[in-house]
Amino acid sequence: MTDVLVVAGLAAFGLGAGAAAGLLGVGGGILIVPFLTLAVGLSQHTAEATSLVVVLPTAVVASLELRRRGVGELGTALRFGAAGAFGAVGGALLALALPGSTLRVVFAVFLGLVGLRLVLESVRA
Amino acid sequence: MLGSAEVANQALTLRPTRRAGTELLGIGVSGGLLSGLLGVGGGVIMVPLLVLWGGYGQRDAHATSLGAIIPISVAGIVTYGIAGKVDWTAAAALAVGAVAGALIGAGMLARMNERTLRIVFGCFLVAVSIAMGLRA
Repeated sequence: MTDVLVVAGLAAFGLGAGAAAGLLGVGGGILIVPFLTLAVGLSQHTAEATSLVVVLPTAVVASLELRRRGVGELGTALRFGAAGAFGAVGGALLALALPGSTLRVVFAVFLGLVGLRLVLESVRA
Repeated sequence: MLGSAEVANQALTLRPTRRAGTELLGIGVSGGLLSGLLGVGGGVIMVPLLVLWGGYGQRDAHATSLGAIIPISVAGIVTYGIAGKVDWTAAAALAVGAVAGALIGAGMLARMNERTLRIVFGCFLVAVSIAMGLRA
């Protein structure tokens, strides 16, 4: 593959990831990191760093578009996110001291149950 | 946790339920903590916390999560000291697509039915859970 094709492929994937991020209210890292490691062949560390740099403008653009459309309250979100930022630093430090795989399994089960609950309640509602 | 009737009521709520600052603070810190601990995006955690604990409607939870990701990702960029580790060509190409995609996705979020949105997000969480389970 030529470089042009690689860049075009990255931009196309970015388009899909950005649309999913804007719709689902997530940053997109959960899609971008596996893509960069598995399809592009970057190391985990490089992929995570690169993903963060993409997530920031994605969240900024989506937030500004939502504010323009009168959805949500950006000021509240920014203050609440600032608290989250401190939590994230604490979590990253804790992660270095704890076994990762056990936490990951527990969390995967938790997310699965929450997801099923949201779907089932909506279908029944 | 909420019953079906409350969820059905929430589906009709267009404005966020205003909550005490301490509750949002708790969600922000625990969302950030889990996100840093497990290396997953904050949104995957913050959206369900905002809906099930914070009493937000699905659409407002997504919008609030996106706003909260801004300071969280800035903190990530600063603390990881990533300047030397970023693949800038890949980042630029991805960002060009992602910014255009974000406009499309945010537009869809603004218009989509709350119930459909909750089902789509729930399926996304189940998919993430399976992918994480396979990787662990």
